[in-house]
Amino acid sequence: MAVIKMIKHTKNFVIGAWSLIKGLAVTMKYVFRPAVTLQYPTEKQPMSERFRGLVGLHPEKCIVCYQCMKMCPTACLAITHKQEDKKKTLETFKYNMELCCFCGMCAQVCPTGAIVMTDIYEISVYDRKKLDINLLDAKKYDEWTHTSVK
Amino acid sequence: MDTTRTKDIYTEEFLINMGPQHPSTHGVLSLELKLDGEIIRECTPHIGYLHRSMEKIAENRTYTQFIPFTDRLDYVASMNNNLGYVMAVEKLLNLEVSERAKYIRVIVAELNRIASHLIAVGTFAQDLGAFATPLFYCFREREKIIDIFDRICGNRLTYNYIRIGGVQFDLPKGIDEKIKEFIKYMRPKVDDYDNLLTYNAIFLARSKNIGVLPKDLAINYSVTGPSLRASGVKWDLRKDEPYLVYNKFEFDIPIGENGDSWDRYKIRIEEIRQSLRIVEQAIDALPGGEPAVKVGRIHKPAPSEAYFRTENPRGELGFYIVSDGSMYPYRLKIRAPSFSNLAVLPELVKGVKIADIVCVLGSFDVLMGEIDR
Amino acid sequence: MLSILDFIWVLIIGLIVLGFIAVSAMFLIWWERKVSAHIQSRLGPMRVGWHGVLQSVADTIKLLLKENIIPAGADKLVWWLAPFFAVVPSVMAFVVIPFGKNLIVKDLNVGILYIMAVSSVCVLGIFMAGWGSNNKYSLLGGMRAAAQIISYELPLILSMIIVSMQANSLSMQKIVAAQSGHWNILHPNMMLAFIVYIISATAEVNRVPFDIPEAESELVAGFHTEYSGMKFAMFFIGEYTNLFIVSAVATTLFFGGWLGPILPPVVWFLGKTYGIVFILMWVRWTFPRLRVDQLMGFAWKVLTPVSLFNLAITGWLLLK
Repeated sequence: MAVIKMIKHTKNFVIGAWSLIKGLAVTMKYVFRPAVTLQYPTEKQPMSERFRGLVGLHPEKCIVCYQCMKMCPTACLAITHKQEDKKKTLETFKYNMELCCFCGMCAQVCPTGAIVMTDIYEISVYDRKKLDINLLDAKKYDEWTHTSVK
Repeated sequence: MDTTRTKDIYTEEFLINMGPQHPSTHGVLSLELKLDGEIIRECTPHIGYLHRSMEKIAENRTYTQFIPFTDRLDYVASMNNNLGYVMAVEKLLNLEVSERAKYIRVIVAELNRIASHLIAVGTFAQDLGAFATPLFYCFREREKIIDIFDRICGNRLTYNYIRIGGVQFDLPKGIDEKIKEFIKYMRPKVDDYDNLLTYNAIFLARSKNIGVLPKDLAINYSVTGPSLRASGVKWDLRKDEPYLVYNKFEFDIPIGENGDSWDRYKIRIEEIRQSLRIVEQAIDALPGGEPAVKVGRIHKPAPSEAYFRTENPRGELGFYIVSDGSMYPYRLKIRAPSFSNLAVLPELVKGVKIADIVCVLGSFDVLMGEIDR
Repeated sequence: MLSILDFIWVLIIGLIVLGFIAVSAMFLIWWERKVSAHIQSRLGPMRVGWHGVLQSVADTIKLLLKENIIPAGADKLVWWLAPFFAVVPSVMAFVVIPFGKNLIVKDLNVGILYIMAVSSVCVLGIFMAGWGSNNKYSLLGGMRAAAQIISYELPLILSMIIVSMQANSLSMQKIVAAQSGHWNILHPNMMLAFIVYIISATAEVNRVPFDIPEAESELVAGFHTEYSGMKFAMFFIGEYTNLFIVSAVATTLFFGGWLGPILPPVVWFLGKTYGIVFILMWVRWTFPRLRVDQLMGFAWKVLTPVSLFNLAITGWLLLK
């Protein structure tokens, strides 16, 4: 009886030890494979074509239809226009980066492709006032890094 | 006769707060434990630290505008949340989507299931002390899935891809080679996890027979998902109430035997394998056609109500929508699977040592974003 | 009576060994981070110096500049002395480590006994840290650590005794000399003793899978939470020095110490020691940790009977 127990215990022990060795083999395998990480910020991964970074605007294409402002789930866009006869021109186009959730719905509904999602994602700032952006200013994103498209 | 009497030693239970910020609890969960030495007598979870009043916000957003909010419920399995909500709205509107949209939805939902289970597996191993290695391996695999999603819809975590009527845009060119490459890459990695963790003697000693959930208790508390299947109940919404095109694919539902933590973990590993099978079949059978039916942006459904449930990686995710004819829903209720799964935790940890509560909590794979909404 | 030459020789070697300890602790910290990184498919420290070699220096400077926070209500003397009790015994054990044929600070003829005695004092450091912190969780952590280390002392010592029985001496250099024919590991009872020794050594140094004292942060704080700055660094350095000692003793007892052809003995010794250190690190980054009761059960119910059995077999083999 005791012998049977001893044999069972030894068998369990050997199976247990073998499982530990198999685990060690898996770990050792990856020591010799190259690393999968990038050394940020010297090496960066280019973003895909459809990447949804910050919102950008081509003011010449905009027909001031207000669809993007109505579609935004968090109401981060604020548009005003000037009416000259039958034509509408853009007066202000404010973009509150704190509220933007990068969903891409504004770019999806725009009929002319005036509002687009750029590839800027490194957007930390020290001053909160910088997060209120005027999209009509062509130099607005100059100090932020633009990653290239894959 | 001399008698020696020992005076009674005065013991009392003491209260520990396994507080909201903690290296092991998944998200901001506070567990109030009443301990008697090393054994837990009572456990009370306190939730609500991540409450963002999503259901109230839904009453002021149109049906399409609410889709980015559903991303942030169960932020690890975004596509499944989008899918559940959109299918509930489509049931309300009696809308049929095209075949291609259904196949694409199945592919992204299953890929996201794999990604979510990878996090569950990695963090479970980390809670048990395998300090960072399984977690890094899981994140390395997850990176490939996220890369695929980045190419498809442009975001890495909150996808906002599935729309009412189909999907946002069609799959880009060359994505099916990437997916097939991923499937070929992933299969040996799941065997790696088996060798590294599943049958490891120390892992077995830490998780077998810990936190056993009996069948009737699971059903009474409406536990769903892998935690229910680990207790031996054969219930999976993809087979029992098939939606989309799940009835055209061949896959198995892994069922556990004991209902302990090891079973819950093992079921997730097996589900990764089955999801790979589904994705492979779906990619091969992808039909041509339009990715979305043309519908307007503002929907005004007739005053009615609809409830639709889908199989989230964590269980049964249900959306109950009541509409009153306007473009905003009157009431939107989200049935989160982790909420019911967490409710059964106080029953399971009575009489268990402190070191095991982390194991039990980790094996249930709860996510606070869902519970608190 | 010690002659002046002997005294100067001991002083010189002692200073060299102290310098070596400081460099070795820093090197081991860097080595651990690199090994763990490569196991996890990443790169580890890369910026400070070539591939991050000077990272430990940067960390030490940072720790020196940190504020010294004394917890309120702490037992000041006990709390202040605890790091010393954790580090000084490990450094003292370096006296009998044979780095080469004559490169040993003092070849005591009770070498093994000295090492066992000195390394047992490390428990006091942990216990004092747990008590002096005035934190009930640190106390729990410290007591568990003390219980764990004391339980694993027994299989450790029994395995070391087997080697000294075979070599007929307790002195480290004589044990190395007794392996000049073939290394001790090649005998089957020595192989079993080595396995028991390595498992107990992992528990002694508080590494995974036995790192309950440190990773007590699952629920309660570890014994060294109330330490910041240089005092914390002392615990850290103590742990890595202990790791080196344990591997050096394993090399001497089981793998032939500094014996080996062609290359100079120091290179052989360091190579073998760092090889065993690598194995301990490899085990750390692969396995989950054991629960406290499983840990103790393993020590008392598995390791101690096995080493006693091994002792009996060795005695029988020697008497034949």
